[in-house]
Formats: sequence, C-alpha cells, structure tokens
Amino acid sequence: MIVSLLKRALMMSTPLLLGSIAEVIAERSGMMVTAIEGIFLMGAWGGFIGTYLTGSASAGILAAMLAGLAAAAVYGVVTIYLKQHQVVTGTAINILAAGFCTYFQRVLFGVPTSPLKISPLREVAVPLLSKIPIIGPIVFEQNILTYLVYLIIPAAYFLLYRTSAGLTIRSTGENPQAVDVAGISVNRVRFLTVLLAGVMGGMAGAFYSVGYLGMFTSNMIGGRGWIAFAICFLGNWNPAGAAAGALVFGLAEAVAIYMQSIGGGGYFPNELFIALPYLLTIVLTVARKSFNVPAKLGVPYKKES
Amino acid sequence: MNAKLRDMVISNLIAILTGLALSGLMLLLLNINPLEAFGYSLKTMFSDPYTLGEVFLKATPLIFTALAFAFTYKANLFNIGAQGQFYMGAIVAVSVSLRLDGKVPTAVLLLTVMVCTAAAGGLIGALIGYLKARHGANEFLVSMMSTYVVLALMNYLLRTFLKEGKGEYPQTDPLTKAAWLPTLLPGTRLHIGFLLAVLTAVAVWILLFKTPLGYRIRVVGSNAAAARLAGIRAETVCVVAFLISGALAGLAGFTEVNGVQHMLIQDFNPGIGAAGLGIAILANAHPIGVIFASILFGMLNVMGNLMGRMPGVSIPSSITDLMQGFVMIFVIASYFLRDHWQNRREKRSLQRGAAV
Repeated sequence: MIVSLLKRALMMSTPLLLGSIAEVIAERSGMMVTAIEGIFLMGAWGGFIGTYLTGSASAGILAAMLAGLAAAAVYGVVTIYLKQHQVVTGTAINILAAGFCTYFQRVLFGVPTSPLKISPLREVAVPLLSKIPIIGPIVFEQNILTYLVYLIIPAAYFLLYRTSAGLTIRSTGENPQAVDVAGISVNRVRFLTVLLAGVMGGMAGAFYSVGYLGMFTSNMIGGRGWIAFAICFLGNWNPAGAAAGALVFGLAEAVAIYMQSIGGGGYFPNELFIALPYLLTIVLTVARKSFNVPAKLGVPYKKES
Repeated sequence: MNAKLRDMVISNLIAILTGLALSGLMLLLLNINPLEAFGYSLKTMFSDPYTLGEVFLKATPLIFTALAFAFTYKANLFNIGAQGQFYMGAIVAVSVSLRLDGKVPTAVLLLTVMVCTAAAGGLIGALIGYLKARHGANEFLVSMMSTYVVLALMNYLLRTFLKEGKGEYPQTDPLTKAAWLPTLLPGTRLHIGFLLAVLTAVAVWILLFKTPLGYRIRVVGSNAAAARLAGIRAETVCVVAFLISGALAGLAGFTEVNGVQHMLIQDFNPGIGAAGLGIAILANAHPIGVIFASILFGMLNVMGNLMGRMPGVSIPSSITDLMQGFVMIFVIASYFLRDHWQNRREKRSLQRGAAV
C-alpha cells in the first residue's frame, strides 16, 4: 500500500514539477508567469485534441506544448513589450484560456452524447531498474512524462547554474541594467524564458488530459497551475527546492485520492482531502520565511532614454 | 485631467471593439455571420424590458466583486480571491435566511442577512490581510487558494447540513418570498440589490477619496516608503483594506442568494470573481467607473446567452467567456496606448515651454 501511495505521489507530482521548474526559470529572469493556470489548461486541451484527432499521444503532447507556447506568447507580449501588470494580465489570460478551450471544444465536437475519451498514457516499466525492490515499482514504473521530468530537473539546474545562458537569465532578474549594458536585450531574455515556461507548462497540462484522465473538461486543472506557481516560491527559486516542493504536493494529492477512495475512513469528509493541497499551500506560504526573491521579480524593464 | 479621461474613454472603446471583433471572427469559424449574431442579440436586448433588466441583474454581483478587487488594488495589494469571499457570503446568506425565514419581518431579515454576509466575506478578507501583514505571506497566492478551500467547504455543507429536505440534489431548500429582495421593476427579475450595489460603489468612492482612511490606503498604494515616513502603519492598512474588500465580495453572495437564486446551488456563478478583476481594470479601479464597466460585462453576458438561443444557428454560450476574455486582454494592453499618449502630450507641453 505504501508502495502504491508513493508511486502515485511521484506520478501526481510530475506536472507540478514541470510547472514549478518552468516558473523557476522564468522568475529568475524577473517574470512571474501568473498565466500558468491558463497555460496548464491550454496544454490539457491541446494534448487532448492532438491525441484525439491523430490517435497518437506524442502528437498530442506536441500540440499541448504549442498550445502552452501560444498562451505564454500572448502573456509575454502584454507584460514584457507592453509593460502591463503581471498578476492582472495573468488572470485575464486564465479567463481567456478557459473560454477559448470550452468554445473550441464545442466548435470541434458539438455536444457529444457520451464523453469523448482517449486512452491515457501507459506505464512503462524500465527493464532491470524496475526490478529493484520497493524503489523499482515506485520510480521506474511510470509513464513517459514522469521519466522526462527526471531528466528536466538536472537539466534545469545545469541551465541555470552552469551555462552562460543561465547566468544571463539570473542576472536579468537581479540587475537588468547590467545585462542591458552588456549588450543583451533584457526583453528578449525575459520573453524567451516565458516561452520556455509556456512549452513546459503546456506539457504539464497534457499530463492531466493525455497522461492521466484520458479526457478533457474545462475545470480539470482546478488551481494546480497556481500550486505550481506557489511551489516555485516555496522552493526558494531553485530547481532542487521546486522538486522537493512538488513531491510534497504530489504526496498530498496521492493521500487525498487514497483517503477519498476509502471514504475518509468514515471520520473525515472527502472535501477535506480535496481542500488539502490548497490548505497546505496557504500554511506553507505563511510558514516559509527568508526568501531568496529575484530582486526585479515582476518589475517591467524600462530603458532610460 | 480632462485629456486623461478622454484618453481612457477612447482607448477603452478601441479595446472593447477589438475584443468584440475578435470574438466575431471566432463566430465566423462556425460559419455564422457575426454581424447578424451581434445585431440579433442587441436588438432583442433593447426591445425586451425583461432582457434589459437581466443586464443590470447580471451586473449587480460584478459591481461588488469588482469593487472588492479595486479596493485592495488602490493599496497596491491583490485580492484575487473574491470568488471565495462571495461563496462564503452566499453560504452565510442562505443559512441565516433559512433560519430566520418566516420568523421575523422581511426588512429585519434582509438587513440581518446583509450584515452577516458582509461580515463573513470580511472575515476571510481580514484573515488574508493579517497573514500578509503579520507573516509576509504572498497575498495573491493565499487569496487564490482560499477560494478553493471555501469551495470545498461549500460542497461539504451542501452535501450535509444545508442539503435540501428532499435530499436529492446538492442544493438547499428554497427561501420563501418573505426572504427575497424586492423586485425593482415589475416584469423583470431586477431586484433592489442593484441599487444597493450602486450605492455601495458611491460609498466606496467617498471612503477612498474623501476620508482619512481612504487617503492612507491610497498613499500606501502609491508610495509605500513615503507612507512609512508619514507614520502610516502599512500593516494596519493592509488588514483593513482586505477586510473591506472581503466584505464587498461577500455582499455579492447576499444579492445573488436573496435576489436571484433564492437558494444555494452547487457551483453557481463560477466566474464572477475573475470577471470582477477585469472590470476593475477596465474602470482603472475607480468605484464609479466600476458601475459602468459592470453593466458592460452584464451586457456581454446577456448577449452571449441571447446568441446561444438565436434561432437557426447553434452558438455555444461559452462565447460569453471568450468575449469577456478578449475584452479584458485588450483593455489591459490599451493601457500601453494610454501611457504613450500621455508621454507624447507631456513631451509636447515641455517643448512648448522651452520655445517660450
């Protein structure tokens, strides 16, 4: 039972990891991606459409990445080039994304008599590794998106701390003037990190539709984009911290799903477990102190002229 | 100042029309003539008093949630949890109404419910403000998450304590007519809640611009460092601003439960918190502007519904969200245009000054 619980925890933390690492990279350049909820939703929808129309999950995931990219591009243009407020713009994108997905779901499929289904991604057992007792079934019997995330964590760490691009990204969040003087366009760096966040966030959204449920509903993200956003804060703007945070939330979701399946053991209402990840976010946001906040987080860059 | 107002009106008009034009393009994808659809919905809206009443009916809760966002925005704080505060207000409105229904005169009942809903929303708001002021918690994260927690609480109550007598659906028993907000115009569903909303907007305007408290809130919002030097306690302002903001959002629960639904239904009005944010931005967080912007959003809402019922074609009612979303994005983007105009004007007046 513990094994299946931990396995599910790892699975549920996959999209949160993708989303929060996407957020870490963008926020290090000074951009809060508050449109992350809408990006997740666009990804979930794009993934569903792509898979449903082509019958191939990889085409679906590609479509999800493109859908996330599109939402992020709109967000980036308005916040970076038009210099508008990031929280406000993000909320507008989230509303627009919800309307967009619902509308085009209707345009493409009308009102179907039975819910449209695609087959969710299968779990793939890694040969040999999955035979390791306890760890094997937990870590190496997951779907392909989870394996991808194993690679993305060190890759993000490497990008941010071991490459000159990473140095540029981090400097853009701390001291954009210096980056500008060095002849690098602050706006371009920020726009590119937002686009990258869009691609990763889209993939995270695809996890819910293509990777997990095999269907699409317009409320399927239900604040998980915001949770990924919170994990980035809680993980101290660091890929490793984000990974740890995502695992905690994945575990909370797995426990919630398990407790619901056994009816709360008869003592607790299901709704308490549904609210658990959100309550956890509030508690941790309040408890966590001394942040390593990027100095120019959320501040549009204006050149002196 | 006058030029600023003119810029705002012009840029907003451009933004709204662009947003609607893009939504029209989306209708083209369904092989529907957008001009016909917009024409049909506008004509029906203005020729039928009942439907026209619906515009103001839909605008009512939006005025409250928009005021809620605008109020904290003036202090440079973000309450994006108006949806949760509204649901909390709705839970309290239906609980108190059911308890008092038939036991006290209508006026007493409505006044009690109004105070209780404002208190309930205000309590959640104050809690968020306290966590921000005392513990430095990120207020928009906490307010966003609080909505999901309240939603879970509401679903729990609708499944247990508040569930209807028949025990069939997750909804409460209906209120009797004695607990309804009186109708404003016969032949429509428009109730006096709309008047309450307009009066509240005026009261918020007075509070913000004509009282010391409002002054403190605006100073903290525009220059936190100056506020601190002037001896204004930012922490207190934060809690008070959130308290009032939450109370405003809670009042939307009162007008929706006692004025429209006359019961509490699971997941009703899911988008008014977010729409309120868009409206507040459209109105540049000005309480009086909020009234007009809310009426515009009410109009978009009714137009979307009318298009959904347009004979001969099938338009998804989600066109409403699309219209509202597009309008919001373009209104936000249009601030750029406004700043640009303002800069150009300042530059010109400087140049003129230099020439003289």
